Amino acid sequence: MDQREATRRFYDLIWPHRAAVLRTAQVLVSAVHDVHDVHDAEDLAQETMMKAFGAMDQFQPGTDAKKWLMTILRNARIDRLRTSDGAKPISLDQMPLEAAEDSTRTETEDTWENPQDILDRFSDQDIIHALQHLSEDDRWTLLLVDVEGLDQQEAARILDVPVGTIKSRTHRCRKLLRQALLPVAKDRRFIHE
Amino acid sequence: MDTLEDSREDSRESEMDQAIARRLGKLRTMPVQTSRLDSLLAAQLPQPERRPRVALWRLRSLRAIAASVAILAVIGAILLSSSGGPVLASATQMAQVHEDIVSGRTPVMQVDSITEANKALAAQWPQSPTVPGVPADHVMACCMQSVKNKKVACVLLKSEGVPITMTVANASDMQMPTAPVMSDGGVDYRVQSVGKLNMVMTERNGRWVCLIGNRPAERLMELARKLQF
Repeated sequence: MDQREATRRFYDLIWPHRAAVLRTAQVLVSAVHDVHDVHDAEDLAQETMMKAFGAMDQFQPGTDAKKWLMTILRNARIDRLRTSDGAKPISLDQMPLEAAEDSTRTETEDTWENPQDILDRFSDQDIIHALQHLSEDDRWTLLLVDVEGLDQQEAARILDVPVGTIKSRTHRCRKLLRQALLPVAKDRRFIHE
Repeated sequence: MDTLEDSREDSRESEMDQAIARRLGKLRTMPVQTSRLDSLLAAQLPQPERRPRVALWRLRSLRAIAASVAILAVIGAILLSSSGGPVLASATQMAQVHEDIVSGRTPVMQVDSITEANKALAAQWPQSPTVPGVPADHVMACCMQSVKNKKVACVLLKSEGVPITMTVANASDMQMPTAPVMSDGGVDYRVQSVGKLNMVMTERNGRWVCLIGNRPAERLMELARKLQF
């Protein structure tokens, strides 16, 4: 494929998804308030888009461009975490299923009465902040399955894990997220103790 | 008893699971400001080539007629704007709406689909008319605009690489211009032009829809025909 055709395809098929890439990067690095984090997210999105442009000959027209971009974003993020001195991705082994189950024991049966109403009272920033309580892999799972609405098979392919892992992880992560939101909900009296 | 309790617990757990999934799904309509990212990318990427415009003799003559009609439309619009009834948006005004969105002068919300656009627009203005679905075209952004004090929902699409603005209003708020009529598939379209921009307007299902872009009117009508109301 010549450069002109690659450029045309990039702007037609890939460019429209840059907002989804940036949104995912923002949630991953929790870029809500801090200008430095906002720039980090933009840099990550830029790197992803540039890598996509460089790999246009590998993109099959007719396939899901967003899914392809998410795979590139995932790899770019992993490379950045590997080379950074600071935050390391937390392995799932460090946060086993039992942790989530234990944590929910503090909830009573009626704690989350009308859960949708309670959750809708949280701002997007609150939700993004709560997602930072999850490990990198967990965050990716909820980002792909719940935020971007990919099906579990697609998420499994992007994260390179079996579908069964995505299924169990999705359920466990939603539980963990709920648990992370619980103290805030109580503090703001969305939930009465 | 244990089984009943277990079943109740499972159902409650499932309800909470779904509630979390739905709340996370709403992050998809979170406004994302891509202007800095766009600048960063523009500095590194080759710019897309502008496609040559296919000039059609029919459109050339239409443009001359449209220019005359535009003058009449402005006069009509001035008269109508003083009343609370439907207003007549001039071709120039609609072209300006499109150019402001494409150039970034109008703040927009980045969205990926019509569903997201409808959610984002409804969050801004609950009475916003539902934007019809557009199959096989990229939805890039949306915003609410005011045309002669009437709210108009705008969605920026990309069709074959060219930005197209779709504006939607309640049919009771907007008047159809006295522009040349072209029929396609049993639906009448009013066609106008301003400079290189063509626009087609139609009324369907109580909604006034105008598609604006640097595309032949036939292509805009083809796109309008595919709208899912």
